[in-house]
Amino acid sequence: MTRINPRGVMLRRTLIATTVTSVLLAACAAAPVKPDGAEEARNKLTQLQSDPNLATRAPVAMKEADSAVRVAEQPQPDKELAAYRVYLADRKVDIARAQAETSLAEDQRTALSAQRERARLDARTREADAAHLAAANSEHQADAANLAAASSEHQADAANLAAANSQQQAAELQRQIEVLQARPTDRGLVLTLGDVLFETGRSGLKMGATGNLNKLVAFLNEYPDRTALIEGYTDSVGTEDYNQGLSERRADSVKSYLVGEGIGTTRLSASGRGERDPVASNDSAAGRQQNRRVEVIISNPAAAVR
Amino acid sequence: MYARSPAHGGSPLRTAVGLTGLLILGACASTPPPTSSLQGARQAIATAERAEAGRYASGELAEARTKLASADSAVSEQRMILAERFADESRVEAELASAKTADVKARAVNDEMTRSNGTLLEEMQRNSGDKP
Repeated sequence: MTRINPRGVMLRRTLIATTVTSVLLAACAAAPVKPDGAEEARNKLTQLQSDPNLATRAPVAMKEADSAVRVAEQPQPDKELAAYRVYLADRKVDIARAQAETSLAEDQRTALSAQRERARLDARTREADAAHLAAANSEHQADAANLAAASSEHQADAANLAAANSQQQAAELQRQIEVLQARPTDRGLVLTLGDVLFETGRSGLKMGATGNLNKLVAFLNEYPDRTALIEGYTDSVGTEDYNQGLSERRADSVKSYLVGEGIGTTRLSASGRGERDPVASNDSAAGRQQNRRVEVIISNPAAAVR
Repeated sequence: MYARSPAHGGSPLRTAVGLTGLLILGACASTPPPTSSLQGARQAIATAERAEAGRYASGELAEARTKLASADSAVSEQRMILAERFADESRVEAELASAKTADVKARAVNDEMTRSNGTLLEEMQRNSGDKP
């Protein structure tokens, strides 16, 4: 947004015109006497001297080049002498440039050496760090391995313990089964409660005859994952319907007793089988007594089924 | 000055001119070879050769030798001024050969260092890249 001053413009134009004219005049005057090639040598030297990276380097060669160019620039009617001077000036400028560039390269080399040392140091540091890390890692891994070993020992112990336990448990179960006088069958443990529990023709349990049932309660409490199926049986005396009903009531009596002793009702089911499935002949009194019975079928636990 | 000061006649002047002419001729005939220039050129060439300029600045070294040969021919032709100029040219040319050789060598060393630094850095980055 500068406003153009018309007077200033005029002044500048005059100045430019004067300068151009004087330069042209000077050129006309100087042109014929300046030796061929001196201009080029001067340009090369100026270029070298204006390079900030090189200007201050190789001062001796630079000075020689400068004076050689000055000599070469002097007007010289002897063409051969002039050419000789220009030749010397040209080569001396080249020498100065080469020496300056060599000096620059040497300085850069110092920086490169420093860079290399830094890189090497970094590499060593990194290597050391990496080694450290690897060592830490392997310690870590060793720890982890120890831990794993300990843990697997632990697991082995646990397994042994479990095995011992299960052996113990199996032994205990066997003992209990023996106490119950149950027999293992495909359906599970079958415990037969004889007719000693009941009065003839009655479904109520005899008082003081619950010893065997209490063993069953203990067993079911010990093995809470087991369920029990209670089945009532009769002999063939009497009508079939009556016997069916009696067998059902007796089974229910047993179930009620067990529930009363704290066994969950969901674990128990009762049914009457009547005169069916006799275990002995109904022709003899001894056989009929055997047939009057309540069987408790204790289910095998899921794991034991396998 | 000398010619003018003692006498004012025409004949002494002529004598002076004749003497001067003789002197000039004599100078031409008896000018010794530019020994120091030639020696300087030979030394400069030898120095360049020792610096392996034949490998790194062969053009300049060849030019220096050619100029020296020209100087020698000029000497044998009794053209001593020309010989001196050739010798001087030979010398700067040989000096240029030496300077260029030093420059090329210095750059080669730097290039090599730059390359190997680059390789070192690359390796470091690869190594550090391996380990997350």
